[in-house]
Amino acid sequence: MEKIKDLILRTVPEAVFEEKKQLTVSVEPNKLHLLAETLYGNAELPFDYLVMMVGMDWGDTLGVIYLLSSSKDVSKEVVLKTATADRVNPLLYSVTDIWETAHLNEREVYGLLGIRFINNPDMRRFFLNSDWKGFPLRKDYDPDSALNPVSVESKEIVDVAPRIMETPQGLKEEKVNIFEEDDYIINIGPQHPSMHGVMHFRTALDGEIVKKIDIHSGYIHRGIEKLSESLAYPQILHFTDRLDYLSANINRHALCMCVEKAAEIEISERAQYIRVITDELNRIQSHLLAWAAMCNDLGSTTAFIYGFREREMILDIFEKTSGGRLIINYNVVGGVMFDIYDNFQKDVKAFIPVMREALKEYHRLFSGNVIALGRMRKIGMMSKEDAITYGVSGASGRASGWSCDIRKHVPYSIYDKVDFKEIIRDECDSYARYMVRLDEIEESLKIIEQLIDNIPAGEHLVKTKPIIKLPEGSYFQRVETGRGDFGVFIESRGDKTPYRIKFRSPSMVLVSAMPLICKGEKLADLIGIGGSMDYVIPDIDR
Amino acid sequence: MLLEISHPAELYHLTNWLDTILQENLPEWGALLVKFVLIGVALLSAYAVIALLLIYGERKITAFFQCRYGPNRVGKWGIIQSVADMIKILIKEIIYIDNVDKFLFYAAPFFVIVASMLTFGAIPFGRGLQAVDFDNGIFYVLAVSSISIIGVLLAGWASNNKYSMIGAMRSGAQFVSYELSAALALMTVVVLSGTMNLSTIVAQQEYVYNWNIVRGHIPAIIAFVLYLISGHAETNRGPFDLPEAESELTAGYHTEYSGLQFGFFYLAEYLNMFIIASIATTVFLGGWQPIQIGVEGFDQIMNYIPSFVWFFGKAFFLVFLSLWVRWTFPRLRIDQLLNLEWKYMLPINMVNLVVMVIVVVYGFYIK
Amino acid sequence: MTVSQYFSGLFKGIASLIKGLTVTWKELWTPKITQQYPENRATLVISDRFRAELVMPHDENNEHACTACGICQMNCPNGTIKVISKTVETEDGKKKKILDEYHYDQGMCTFCNLCVITCPSDAIKFENTFENAVFTRGKLDLRLNREGSKMREKKKPEPKPAPTAATAEAPKAETPAPKPAAAEVKPVAEAPEVKTAPAVEEPKAPEVKNDTETKE
Repeated sequence: MEKIKDLILRTVPEAVFEEKKQLTVSVEPNKLHLLAETLYGNAELPFDYLVMMVGMDWGDTLGVIYLLSSSKDVSKEVVLKTATADRVNPLLYSVTDIWETAHLNEREVYGLLGIRFINNPDMRRFFLNSDWKGFPLRKDYDPDSALNPVSVESKEIVDVAPRIMETPQGLKEEKVNIFEEDDYIINIGPQHPSMHGVMHFRTALDGEIVKKIDIHSGYIHRGIEKLSESLAYPQILHFTDRLDYLSANINRHALCMCVEKAAEIEISERAQYIRVITDELNRIQSHLLAWAAMCNDLGSTTAFIYGFREREMILDIFEKTSGGRLIINYNVVGGVMFDIYDNFQKDVKAFIPVMREALKEYHRLFSGNVIALGRMRKIGMMSKEDAITYGVSGASGRASGWSCDIRKHVPYSIYDKVDFKEIIRDECDSYARYMVRLDEIEESLKIIEQLIDNIPAGEHLVKTKPIIKLPEGSYFQRVETGRGDFGVFIESRGDKTPYRIKFRSPSMVLVSAMPLICKGEKLADLIGIGGSMDYVIPDIDR
Repeated sequence: MLLEISHPAELYHLTNWLDTILQENLPEWGALLVKFVLIGVALLSAYAVIALLLIYGERKITAFFQCRYGPNRVGKWGIIQSVADMIKILIKEIIYIDNVDKFLFYAAPFFVIVASMLTFGAIPFGRGLQAVDFDNGIFYVLAVSSISIIGVLLAGWASNNKYSMIGAMRSGAQFVSYELSAALALMTVVVLSGTMNLSTIVAQQEYVYNWNIVRGHIPAIIAFVLYLISGHAETNRGPFDLPEAESELTAGYHTEYSGLQFGFFYLAEYLNMFIIASIATTVFLGGWQPIQIGVEGFDQIMNYIPSFVWFFGKAFFLVFLSLWVRWTFPRLRIDQLLNLEWKYMLPINMVNLVVMVIVVVYGFYIK
Repeated sequence: MTVSQYFSGLFKGIASLIKGLTVTWKELWTPKITQQYPENRATLVISDRFRAELVMPHDENNEHACTACGICQMNCPNGTIKVISKTVETEDGKKKKILDEYHYDQGMCTFCNLCVITCPSDAIKFENTFENAVFTRGKLDLRLNREGSKMREKKKPEPKPAPTAATAEAPKAETPAPKPAAAEVKPVAEAPEVKTAPAVEEPKAPEVKNDTETKE
């Protein structure tokens, strides 16, 4: 990383480094784009993967934290920081031209913190209405409901995007139309049977062919990041289950690890084992549901029910272990909430052969089906480059040939002790995404098999202080959920509540790639591709 | 005919008796009028009852395929579930929608249901149970059943809903394509049997070795399979349910319909499934003829089972096949659907027709 | 597309379809998985850990273990619990804070278990009685301490949860009905509805927090 430091200093000599584990650099807003470009173009270790963009209100300044990583080695991380003191009309430079994923993230930052990005082609607020008053994540936000009353009137959707472009004559504010004059626009969502939640795609069609998709989100935005700023860490935990509810336990694991890392809490080996086993069970049920839902999207209702049938076994195990089925509420800071129940090992071991048998049945029923293959092969092509620039990690990224499994590359908990294969396929299509999930179920079963008989004795929960305060600083933790690279960022000022908490949503990048990979496909395939990407909406609408 | 076989439990005893009574007590035009009314009422009620049975059957069978129980709360095993649903649909509010072409919008369901009823009338349900018997019966069936597509297109167009519109357009393309295959498959049998009259076709198939599917062996079997596929596609049922693809278009062309109007579409869909199965039964599987193998005792026993029971048994078996297919496969995409028709089914059908002609001309069929 | 590809594609396709049909045919005869609720109520096993409803166990003397310390209220992330205490004078003239009303708004609860974990006197616990559907939202606002109940005096440190758990479960075993205590709970639960349930200004969580922090 010294080399990277040198490179940064050569590019921007006045860059300020912070004494941290991660390489953290602060630069002036006008130098950020240059630095980003340099890091992106670094031949040896290109920082071509923008993991997370965190909009920050530091009190006197507003700014953004960029967490960069490399597609060649996702364990390498660089943190860029930039800030502007202008709180009335804060402007920063966009990095959308470098990383596509920055596009939606910048729109989110604009909606929640009011920072506008120069050169972003579409500077509408994400999550919020264009007439929302105030910027919720700012510290001086006025939450008075009289300011933003709940409207009962139907609001017209305006397909006009404001933007600020840099021209030789200076900055120019302009408005562009999203769609062409005579586009046949169909609203897929917010209430649509195949949107897997309240997501809204405004889709321009040319006959059956998708011409353009405009994403609208925020219908179930709950402001979890804002709420968390007034809650203690153990209290925040219950929100993580409600982000990507299919990876509830894994999300929670991430936040627990982040807090444990920051507070230097050592958790017991037993708890680690239990966490990983439940994580993998969670992953299996998530992939099962993804499989079932995708089959349903493609019109095979029967397969849907079969997927749910096997998933039920895992949910029963969860219910007995933690008292929850979907929102399993199991990990806590310091370990897990309850010790495993007596027959846990027996139940899990009974489940493994059933699942293997079921996988065979799934392949017979659906994977080889000529209609299904026609609906998946060469459909929704996402090249490796696209996957990286959109930050599409997880099963969908691996289906594009990108080795991005956090469990493998940045092993957390006890993932370095277990033996499993990272499933990578290079077809880049819906079929690859579909197969990666089914194959990962098998890998997860292998991980569980390795651990289930070796759960060490000991405490399942170490005693923590009643009030957990994190030392001042910022903390990152990334995990591999069912959808991909989930990250938690905490900035603490030494209180029992975080100053800023941000969750990196793996579903948001999946959705942001949809307009690209659906373009030119049929309407029916839009739904199928959506199923193969497997996004969960509450994860986006945090 | 080997011998005069008695048919004790046949419905034609009843109809003949009624006919005699009417002829004796009324002038000819009066008898005719009463008969018309009776037949109409009988057909309509049969239509409704069969629809209820089919809906119940489909829900149960689907559930069993999916490891569920299906309806089991209303009545024992849920048998009056579909009656309850029917009552619900009858008393549901019909929602009047703004900004639609009102006349076309309300007319559309009638086209669909009338088309399916007209076809329904021409089916020979049993010995002497056929309301409409034309010499060109097959032609008639094909012709009137295609009226329904007008209703579907009108519904999609008049709803002022983009989902409906896409659904209707898909349906149009699909129906026109598969109608060809269906017709050609039936023509193959017409070549074999030499008549388009449905009752004659049934009469020809007295013994199992006379059934068209056996008599015409390979080309007939191919035609049978092709007819089932294209018929299945015509009824807009999975894997050909693109016009109402639930996961894409919510409900396709009938998205905006409610209450009884939706009920019409719903009823017609189920009945069309049955009609396709009935025509396949009539044309390929000997219609209402019992399984007779030319052995006296056996045939006599088979004949104690009324012919309409045979007919419904065979038809419901074919309906079961269609359900099995529907609940196994994923949905085709519109281009795959058209590929299947134009690149596979139509060429195979044409070759098959030629093969059948050769078979008939050179007498290669089982005599 | 060559002719052989055309036909091999056709036959492979048909083979794959038949394969799929065999799977569903097999499933047609497998045992059904639907749970026949509510008919299976008697045999339905709900995990003991399943969190459906917060309860405050009372023993046979109508005594509970709540000291009205308010830690549960303070730990609740979304204001589900409201502990209303009152000060009384004991025989020896000391002022003592005791529990007046313990309100639990089930409609708000996210079942995160923090209240139970943090309770220093094990006065509350989650039950697996999951049939909590009611017709109005107000009925979800439950009062957990019974009418006339009082705090159990801690004379000797006897095992607390054992007797309470036994009493709480005793009537349950007799009747399969999920809410055996419904008759007694209901009138109590309705009381806050008539009173001022939402009008009470809720003390802000952080303030209470500091209060108890110093206590510890």
